[in-house]
Formats: sequence, C-alpha cells, structure tokens
Amino acid sequence: MTIRRLVHSLPVSHAILWTAAVLVPRARRAEWLAEWRAELWHVWNCVRDESATATREHGDAEVTAFCLGAFHDAIWMRRNEGRSTMRRRFQIGSPWRCGATLITLALASMLLCCWLPGAHKAMLPLPRHAADGVVMISSEGYDAGRTPTIRLEDYESWRTSARHLFTGIAFYQPIHRQVRIARHRTAELSLARATSNLFDVLRLPLSAEPHAATMRPHMARVILSRQAWRRYFNSNPQVAGRTLVLAGQQAQIAGVAPEGAWQLPDGIDAWILEDQKTLDALPASARGFVLAQIKASGFPAGGTGQRSMTVSRENGEADRYDCVSLAQHMEHPFFLFLFTLFLACLALPATTPLPLGEYSVRGSQLSLLLTIRRWLFLAAKISLILPVVYFSSLDLAYGRLPLDSTTAQYIQMAASFAGLLFGLRWALKDQRRRCPVCLRLLTNPARVGHASRNFLAWNGTELICGVGHGMLHIPEIPTSWCSTQRWFYLDSSWSSLFSDTYLAPAGTS
Amino acid sequence: MPVMAIEPKLSHTAAMILQAINAGQVYGFSVMEMTGLPSGTVYPAMRRLERDGLIVSKWEQQAIADAEQRPLRKYYKLTRAGHGALEAVHKRYPLLEKLIPSAEVKRV
Repeated sequence: MTIRRLVHSLPVSHAILWTAAVLVPRARRAEWLAEWRAELWHVWNCVRDESATATREHGDAEVTAFCLGAFHDAIWMRRNEGRSTMRRRFQIGSPWRCGATLITLALASMLLCCWLPGAHKAMLPLPRHAADGVVMISSEGYDAGRTPTIRLEDYESWRTSARHLFTGIAFYQPIHRQVRIARHRTAELSLARATSNLFDVLRLPLSAEPHAATMRPHMARVILSRQAWRRYFNSNPQVAGRTLVLAGQQAQIAGVAPEGAWQLPDGIDAWILEDQKTLDALPASARGFVLAQIKASGFPAGGTGQRSMTVSRENGEADRYDCVSLAQHMEHPFFLFLFTLFLACLALPATTPLPLGEYSVRGSQLSLLLTIRRWLFLAAKISLILPVVYFSSLDLAYGRLPLDSTTAQYIQMAASFAGLLFGLRWALKDQRRRCPVCLRLLTNPARVGHASRNFLAWNGTELICGVGHGMLHIPEIPTSWCSTQRWFYLDSSWSSLFSDTYLAPAGTS
Repeated sequence: MPVMAIEPKLSHTAAMILQAINAGQVYGFSVMEMTGLPSGTVYPAMRRLERDGLIVSKWEQQAIADAEQRPLRKYYKLTRAGHGALEAVHKRYPLLEKLIPSAEVKRV
C-alpha cells in the first residue's frame, strides 16, 4: 500500500472526522459525528461507483477533501454553539462565574505578590537555619531583638565560657556606610561588621563564590544580600572577586547570600566578614547582635522552647540573657495568617448566622450528588477566599515595607483578619442565596406580608430560582414557627412559567 | 405607519443551498453535488440557515436506513420562513431558479 493510498483510506478519513469532532461542543458532538460519518459513507460509495470513469487517486482525494471540510463545520459549531453554551454558563449569578471570579482574584493577588519584591520575600519559606537551632542572644528578650544589645566584650568572653552551650557563636554589628561599588558610582548601603564564622553558624550556603586563587588573603571579605546583588550589581554572576571600597577600606566580594536568607533585624545589604585582629581593634563596649548554634545537650529538652542563660559577673551578680530561637523571632507571615484565620473563625458567628437554612428532604428533587456538589461549592469558595486574602494581605503589608517591620506585620494582621471575616461571611451569605439544585443566585426578591401582622400571617422576602427549581422564604422577623430561611421546591407543573435559557443540571427530576 | 416584514439578507451561497434543498437535494452531500460547493462551505452554511429558522433538520426513519443497509442520514427541509426567504431570493437572483430548477420535494 502506497503512502498516498494510506492517507486517503477510509480509516484515516474516519480519524479526520474524530479529530474534528473534538472541536465540537460536547453536547452536540455525537449527533454531529453521526451526521458526518453517514455522509462519509455515501461519499465513499459514490467515489467507488465513479472509479470506473475517473482515476482512483482523484476520487480518494475527494473523500479526504470532504473530510477536511468537517473542520470548518466543527469550528463554526464551536464558535456559535460553544459560545452560547459558555455565555449561559457564565451568566451573572452562575456558580461558574463565581468560581472564575475568585480564581482570577487569587491569581491576580498571587502574581502581584510575585511582582512586589517585599511581598515575594514574605512568600518564601523560612531559611533553613531557622529550624536548625540557631538562637539570637538578647539581654531584653524578644522585644529587644530589633536593637543591638550585646557588647563585644561579652561576646568575646562567651566564645570560651559558653562552649558547653553552643557549637558556634557569631557576632555582627550594623553600620551604615557610603560604599563605592564601581568607579564613579557610590551607594548608601546598610552594612554589618561580622565575625568570619557568621554564615557557618547560620549554615547558609553562599552562591557565586569566587575561585580560591582570586581571593586576596589580607583583604576583608564581603557577602552581598540577594537584593543588593540585584539592585547594585544587576545580578551579575561574575561579581565574586570584585573589589569594593567601604569607607576608605578595600574589601573583596566573597559571595551572595541565598534568597530570603537574611530575615534578621536591620535589613542588611552586605556583611563585612572581619578577621579577629580587626574585631579586637573595636571598642569593647560596641554593641551588636549575637547568634549561636545551640548544643542539643546544652539546654534541657522539652518545655515551652524558651531558653535563657545566666552569666555571673565579677561582683557576684548574675545577668540573664534570653536565647530567642530565630524561628520564634521571625514570625513568618503565613503563621500570622493562620492566627488571623483562627480569630476570624471565632468572630464569624457574631457577624452572621452559620446555618444555611432549612431544606426539605425530597430524594427525587435533591439527589445525594447535588447535595455533595452544593457543599463542595461552598468548600471551593472558602478555599479560594483563603489565597485571595493571604496574597492580598502580603501585597498590602510587605509591598513597600520590609519583612521585619512591626508596622507591616500589624498591617498584615489587620488586612488578613478583615479580609477573612468579610470573605467567610460573604461565602455563607452567598451560599444561602443560591438554589440548592442549580447553584445559581436566586432572583426576583418580593416582599410578602406586613410586619405588623406577624402573628397572623407569614411576612418576609421571597426569592425564586430562575430555572424554576424552587423558592426561598426568608422571614422578616425570626419566629418560633419560622426561625430561619426555608426552601420550597416547585413541582413540574410550574415548568411552563420558566424559560429554558438555563441548562438543566444533571440529577434533577 | 405600515409594518414592513424583515427579509433576511442571504448570500449567494446560502441562496444556492436553499434552492438546492428546495429542489429536493435534502442531504448535505447531495447539496454539495448539486451546487459544486465544498463540504467546508455547505455544512456551516446549512447550520446558519437552520439557526435562522429557514431550514429544519431531521433524522430519517431507522427502517429506511435499515432497508437500504446504510447509516442513518440527516435530511433538511425548508420551513415556512425558508420558503418566504426563497421567494425573495428568486427576485434578487433571477437566474438561480434556472440554474437549479425547483422540483417536488421528495418524501423521506
């Protein structure tokens, strides 16, 4: 069999029709395919009958051309019938539209979060050192963690006296300096003067490390933050080994810290790793931060996780220092979000009733599948509200403020709590206003009765399903006989009153 | 103020298809053969005519297809609005009737 014959064979023609059928809206696909297959049968036989008078190849090509025309028809069907189906599906009040809106909001807030550098940093997980037992030693506990409290002389004495508590201990002191980053180019950077073992204690891997041969042994080494590397060095991967002038002192770039690694106080742009000789030259009263890697045997296991150490002075008094875990020190935005979610769940019953109303049990009307679908829709709404609120609160709080800013954390908490409370409230309220069968929003609210005749007759608001599945009665004043909203199914005798513009959902009678 | 009937503006292709169906070519393939138009033109045009209410499609009876040992076919016929539109088309394209002579519609 030649390739030409194979291409124009009947199975290939059927395959072309099957392929074209994929473009046809599912509801019309079977009928469309049946029509085209029936016509193909006739075309095929017609060509076979005429093969005596015409060349066979020409006839085969006709069959293929006929089948390829199916694509035009399928595309027309998709553009017209498909669009009308989609239009119906995404009508105002439809569950599809609600879901699409929430997904769009979630994606938009997430993309904005990725675009804003501060918010993007807040999205990242805590650096590895946070979980590895690194603590910040502070004389005033957690509250003083944002200002340097430890004197250099104390750090020097702990290096030897506290070996039984820590496997490694490092010191850094924030300073602000004009830095000449290139010829005729200077920048005001937040620097930190640190001991050379700082990154070993933090266990942070450095990127863009230079070759050992290019490093000059007598020059101070500088580690850049990822943000400073991007901003001042245009993310140049060859930056390692370059020389900077820091307040008249030359230093060589030794690497770039990992993304989101530095979430410690003061938003440092670069760390100058000084040798012991330079540190010894600093005044003994210079204050800075002290980080330490704790020894498993150094502190008692269990408890609340709060650790402290006591240092005896020469005059007999003792000073107490808190060892604040970095994981505890750096409140990750996600934990703040979880906390506000808990608060919002507590506050929710005070703002809106939790029950979704009374729905009479009629197996023929509301199948188990529809009941599950209704609850799944509520769950989907809530699960989409969570990322919308989380990412939006990150955008709002950390878009312009640094991660360690207390103001940013308060903004995140307030935005997150308000967003969650109103979001969850909306989800419940929206669910109560939807038809339990087709999940569309109920329409045509009508006031019924008078409040002054409350004891004589029912009064409240009635809403109706646009497809005619039922009516919702919402009492104006909750009474002992009608305390919450009630759903009433309409039987098939009502169907003539409703248009058939909506698609009847599967599972309805 | 007199009320004027709105006549659908049909293209020449649609007019030919309408005329072919009126002439008794009730299947898509037979319309193709009569008009010489390709399948990619005929079928979408027939869908448009059906959407506009000028023709209506129906599946033939199973017994007919079984008797002839072939798959069930879908046939098309003009609606009342289709006949009205065709009359207007004849005025617009006078040669159309000569090109495809009208015949008694076959009973399917």
